[in-house]
Amino acid sequence: MSSSNQSQNPIKAVHQIATKWIANMSDTRFAYLLLLPTLLTVTALAIWPLIYTFEISLHANSLSGLYGDFVGLENYVQILSGQRDAILPSPFLSFQDPINSGLIVTFIFAFVSVILEAFLGFGMALVLDQQFRGRRFVRAAIIIPWAFPIVIQGMIFYIMFTPGLGFATELTAWLPYLSRNALSHGLTALVVVIIADVWKQSAFIALIVLAGLQSIDRSLYNVAKVSGASPWQRFKLVTFPLVMPSLLIALLFRTIGAMRIYGQIEAITSCSVVPSLSCMVVQSFDTGNYANAATVAFITASIIGTVVSIYLLKYREV
Amino acid sequence: MADNNAGGGLVSRWADYSMRNPETVYRYLLYIGIGAFLLISLFPIYWLFVIALTSPGNMSNIWLLPKGFNIGVFIEIFRTTPFHWYVLNSLIISTVTTALVLLFASLAGYVFGRMEFRFRRPLMLVILAISYFPAASYLIPLFRLLTGNVGVAGVYPPDLFNTHFGIIIPLLGIMMPLSIFILTTFYAQIPDGLEDAARVEGTTRLGALFRVIMPLSAPGVATAGVLTFIMVYNEFFFSFLMNDGEVSNGAPLVWGMIRFQERFQVNYGEMAAASLVATIPIVILVLIAQERIVSGLTSGALKE
Repeated sequence: MSSSNQSQNPIKAVHQIATKWIANMSDTRFAYLLLLPTLLTVTALAIWPLIYTFEISLHANSLSGLYGDFVGLENYVQILSGQRDAILPSPFLSFQDPINSGLIVTFIFAFVSVILEAFLGFGMALVLDQQFRGRRFVRAAIIIPWAFPIVIQGMIFYIMFTPGLGFATELTAWLPYLSRNALSHGLTALVVVIIADVWKQSAFIALIVLAGLQSIDRSLYNVAKVSGASPWQRFKLVTFPLVMPSLLIALLFRTIGAMRIYGQIEAITSCSVVPSLSCMVVQSFDTGNYANAATVAFITASIIGTVVSIYLLKYREV
Repeated sequence: MADNNAGGGLVSRWADYSMRNPETVYRYLLYIGIGAFLLISLFPIYWLFVIALTSPGNMSNIWLLPKGFNIGVFIEIFRTTPFHWYVLNSLIISTVTTALVLLFASLAGYVFGRMEFRFRRPLMLVILAISYFPAASYLIPLFRLLTGNVGVAGVYPPDLFNTHFGIIIPLLGIMMPLSIFILTTFYAQIPDGLEDAARVEGTTRLGALFRVIMPLSAPGVATAGVLTFIMVYNEFFFSFLMNDGEVSNGAPLVWGMIRFQERFQVNYGEMAAASLVATIPIVILVLIAQERIVSGLTSGALKE
């Protein structure tokens, strides 16, 4: 276009210059140009915060500013060895009081809920893999809990276990330890949070295992049938080994998710009753103890990083 | 089962029949499974209805049926709290976040799915790794950044606490990886010839992405969009921490529900009714876009 056109319509002119500039770009440069928004977002909202969190965790707490003197790994040493328990929202690691200890509560929650979700999800996947009338409806019904907002999932179980209102406390009143006031005691509140998580997240495992089931070559079953394998043998020797990789991926994702648990706890009881690691980060942050918050946050991130690495090294030849 | 067992005649006959007709037994097992899973999934939601319909005076030991039939509660929630505004705020936040994520992730998905360059794999791995970290590990720096306390070269961003963008921006970073991976998978499947043909006809590079690749991968875009929307609508962490809960400050659904809980005299019926109303958009999405959710979760998860 002629330059006289540019003075008349600057927007058009800029557009033309940009188009020409892009058209003459090398492929690699164009790739980076398109990646720019993503890289900026990811750097500003994830990579930089993580590094900054680590930096804060290497400094002493300061009452006036963001952080005080550089102390190296002192925060980590003190928190991991239990010397900080008195000024943390709840003890970090205490075998005398495991149900009140952040690390142990988080591990119990992750382990128990993921195991239960694996069994329930696997069962759901086996059912959804069959042909029957109303399959779409059943699948939708199974997915809906997964799509429920965390705060409402919390509300449901909060109401259900409210003494005198829900039936759940009546059901469990005769059990030892399960007092009528389940939501105000560490152990029973943890059980309720696990139940809520299993209700919401089993569908996730079900869908991923279902995808694994449906990718199995059906002719293998015919071969097994002809070879005289019983249905149970078919499941044990064909289905299970082939679906194992999908199940492991689903378990990995759920384990990572469970290690972050925060919202459900806040909605069902409170962080002081079930002190997960993320809870401890938020509570320390709220009270202005940034050194503790950053250190617990980075420990949590490291645990999750370790879980992912173990999985990748063990089950994936990277 | 011993056949000479006098009382066990029925049992042993049943066992015998089961052995000879395994298919029938599996069928029954299947129906038992379907029933159990439907009950597990839907009962808590049904029970919310029961609580919502129970009149305020009768709130004690609610089992399977409501005590009373207080249908007016569904109107009452909008009168006692500005509940519809909380839901609307959440819908706005979810929509804007989804649009931005789809735009950014489309550009990245195009690059990762259809171009070759040196740092392609390492960059994808970095983006994947980021999606594993908990929101809590970003909390302190992000909170400072979004409240205008972190400046670059003396330039400070505005304070976004109590705004929609205070929630939208941190969620961009959290939601982006999944969409990038879904879109990379879909965009990679479009044959090169279609793009080349458009280019020969004079379409620009970006034009090819928006006019050829994206429309052809509409299911993929819809998948990433539906999943992002649901996840943002459900999100708790930043929705809770980046707002003080006032509707006029753009508080999302999380705060609407917490406000019910915080009241001195908790009205459980209203709380249950509000929960049900708030999940309507999500339930509709699940019913319409079931296939998308299934394929999105699986392609997002089963991709290295």
